[in-house]
Amino acid sequence: MKLPLLVLAGCLAAVPALAKDNFVLEDEVALCTGCHGEDGVPVATDYPIIAGQQYFYIFTQLRDFGAGRRENETMTPIAAEYDRDQAKEIAQYFADKPWPDVPGSSQEGDRQLAEKAMTAAECSACHGKWQGDSRIPRLAGQQVDYLATTMLDFKSKTRKNAPDMSNLMADVSDDEIHALARYLSTVVIH
Amino acid sequence: MKTKALAAAAAIVLCSHAGSLWAQDEVSHGTLYGDLQNVTQSMLNRASGDGNNFLHANGNYQQTRYYPASQINTGNVKNLRPAWIFQTEIVDSMETSPIVVNGIMYVTTAFNHVYALDARTGQEIWHYTHAMGPVTTYCCGPNNRGVAVSGDRVFMGTLDAKLVALDAKTGKQLWETEIADPELGYSETMAPTVVDDMVLIGTNGGEYGIRGFVKAFDAASGELKWTFNTVPEDSVGVWATHDATGRDMLRDIEAEKAALASMGDPYETLGGGVWQNPAVDLESRRIYFVVGNPSPDLDGSLRPGDNLYTDSLVSVNLDTGEYICHFQYIAHDVWDLDAVSPPIITTVKDAEGNDVKGILHGGKTGHVYVHKADDCSLIRFSEAMVPQENMWVLPTAEGARMLPGANGGVEWSPMATDPNLHMAYAINLHQPMTYHVESTPYPEGKIWLGGAFKVIPEEEQWGNVTAVDYNTGAIAWQVRTAEPMIGGILATAGGLVFTGEGNGLFKAYDSSNGGELWRFQAGAGVNAPPSSYTVEGRQYIVVAAGGNAQLNYKRGNNIIAFALSD
Ligand code: HEC
Ligand code: HEC
Repeated sequence: MKLPLLVLAGCLAAVPALAKDNFVLEDEVALCTGCHGEDGVPVATDYPIIAGQQYFYIFTQLRDFGAGRRENETMTPIAAEYDRDQAKEIAQYFADKPWPDVPGSSQEGDRQLAEKAMTAAECSACHGKWQGDSRIPRLAGQQVDYLATTMLDFKSKTRKNAPDMSNLMADVSDDEIHALARYLSTVVIH
Repeated sequence: MKTKALAAAAAIVLCSHAGSLWAQDEVSHGTLYGDLQNVTQSMLNRASGDGNNFLHANGNYQQTRYYPASQINTGNVKNLRPAWIFQTEIVDSMETSPIVVNGIMYVTTAFNHVYALDARTGQEIWHYTHAMGPVTTYCCGPNNRGVAVSGDRVFMGTLDAKLVALDAKTGKQLWETEIADPELGYSETMAPTVVDDMVLIGTNGGEYGIRGFVKAFDAASGELKWTFNTVPEDSVGVWATHDATGRDMLRDIEAEKAALASMGDPYETLGGGVWQNPAVDLESRRIYFVVGNPSPDLDGSLRPGDNLYTDSLVSVNLDTGEYICHFQYIAHDVWDLDAVSPPIITTVKDAEGNDVKGILHGGKTGHVYVHKADDCSLIRFSEAMVPQENMWVLPTAEGARMLPGANGGVEWSPMATDPNLHMAYAINLHQPMTYHVESTPYPEGKIWLGGAFKVIPEEEQWGNVTAVDYNTGAIAWQVRTAEPMIGGILATAGGLVFTGEGNGLFKAYDSSNGGELWRFQAGAGVNAPPSSYTVEGRQYIVVAAGGNAQLNYKRGNNIIAFALSD
């Protein structure tokens, strides 16, 4: 098993293997907003909001996509092109934008079901009031379909870059996950 | 233009604080040593005999948490009442050790706020809010355990891995320095220790694949003076098969040796955080601290060897940071039953019954370990303070049950001692858990547990307050509490120990027999170490009630000072 060594060496090296040539922030951002929305509102309900998301969280996700710790057909090849500094620039650009107002949708009984899961898994110990902080993403007002997909991906370990979240979601039922997604999409931060 | 505006603003600040400065003058008469604004080295050295101030996170350089005042005692503690309650702006976990200098108290909150208060009234003098950088790390809540004081300065470590120095009179920041790169998972929750114009501080990050250290910074400038890496470049050690108490840790040494040959020494990401203050021995000019778990916590396959000096007591030279001695409790730990509670220097009986300079440490294993200060060697370990079962079963994919659970028998909570009774007082947790391993490669500074610790929901949890005779290792008394305990404990010359619980109860016990003598319901978890002080002839006990993020105890924002009712 030589793999861990290689991975370690790669991670600790100051200069990453890849840096996108001819990097111009505006051009890269234009690529992102094609899906994540020019005004911050993503073009599809299963695309996440990244405008106004936590800077360090955006950065780590780009690194994780790039390094294959989080795999996604769309995002992995895009993110793999950037080096650390380029990823930081992009993360800063989106973090500085205001979080868009996307109407959430919840149903009768969602709150109760969500509360049950939230109490059992002690979400608030890490997520506070869902506002996000540095390494913790903002979830309040995130897109419903994205939230559900990513929580199911944690549960099935399709999304592997946060083993803690996978462990927690293993004990949350699919019904609870959908209720959580709808509930979180309606949480407003003042 | 800009400078003018600033100068004007500064003048206003000074005027508006004139009242409180004058108030500080008033209380200065009560002090034993030193002058009002200055905490001298001599005051810091003599803190163990200072019944007016509380100058160190753990009372004194020896970290005994034994307070020499006895106005509040076993006879009258039933008359203890809140003298004042101060509410901070931050409703979140509080772990602060209040520091008191000549009637001025310094407390911190989650997210690195510092408050200076009039210790007689709880009146706010100033409030400092740290300008937090974009990268913060906290595995276990956005906590802070307090400040250190020296000269006319107050020092604090931050969640974004900075060390800041503040003007004690105004709360203005004097300098800030980066302790280590927060992107890699370094962060600070411990109070620093100041000695001879050096600010000593360890680091969090054992859950993030850091390489731990203790660093010394110049108190005047913030310049780095020395670094001791808690993980040496050769971290392999002696391939120890048994722990400090003689139990087999079930290591597969052959497999580890093969892994070492193929992957090399894992020292760069091996963890080894230092969560709590060093004890300082000015006589020998050494410090003693304990080093936390190896990274990743549960997965030993990526880190062959003993993983020196994780899970160890370590002593280094105070002036240079040079290694002197160490004692490893658990080699190649895969349970996170590491070493966090701050060590204590006190006189102990050695195996032959002679008095020697000793070091005490309350381990997450649930034992109090008693060492010889001279060479770090183990003299004895106490009876287990919490149930131990199935030690040392290896973590599995499905989860293996073992007691104690991963929060240990004693967490970061400091112990206290009573030298006359030769007792150490510890607060304990009993939390049955299963240990799960799942190997993942180093994730570049993101949390890296290599598995999971899971509470077994159907099993009962509880806590203890335990007194251990450190000269024999026997438990002298033990009191059960409703919930696992985290925070800290204080012993006083009044024959008392004070400690709080997650359900909001703050209690005083008779330190000789554990009899409960007094209790108060604080309305939020009392999960911080208490302090004591005396102003104008009146002794106070003070504690923070802010609950705890790690154990999810009810949050609050109160600093509560108690005194005897007239
Ligand atoms: C073709 C559409 C598309 C483009 C172009 C695109 N993204 Fe994405 N992005 C997605 C989808 C879909 C996901 C959800 C992936 C998943 O579920 O794992 C995503 C996820 C993300 C996430 C993770 C969000 C979270 O909350 O975890 C970040 C960050 C992100 N994208 C940033 C970017 C940036 C920066 C760019 C431009 C450089 C970009 N994306 C370009 C479709 C796109
Ligand atoms: C132990 C701390 C912890 C707990 C408890 C926790 N989370 Fe998380 N969660 C995180 C972290 C850290 C991340 C970011 C992971 C990453 O960097 O990829 C995250 C990410 C997420 C995401 C992905 C957001 C995005 O934009 O992709 C969702 C959704 C989420 N958590 C929901 C929950 C819910 C619901 C609960 C309770 C049932 C919960 N979490 C409990 C730490 C936690």
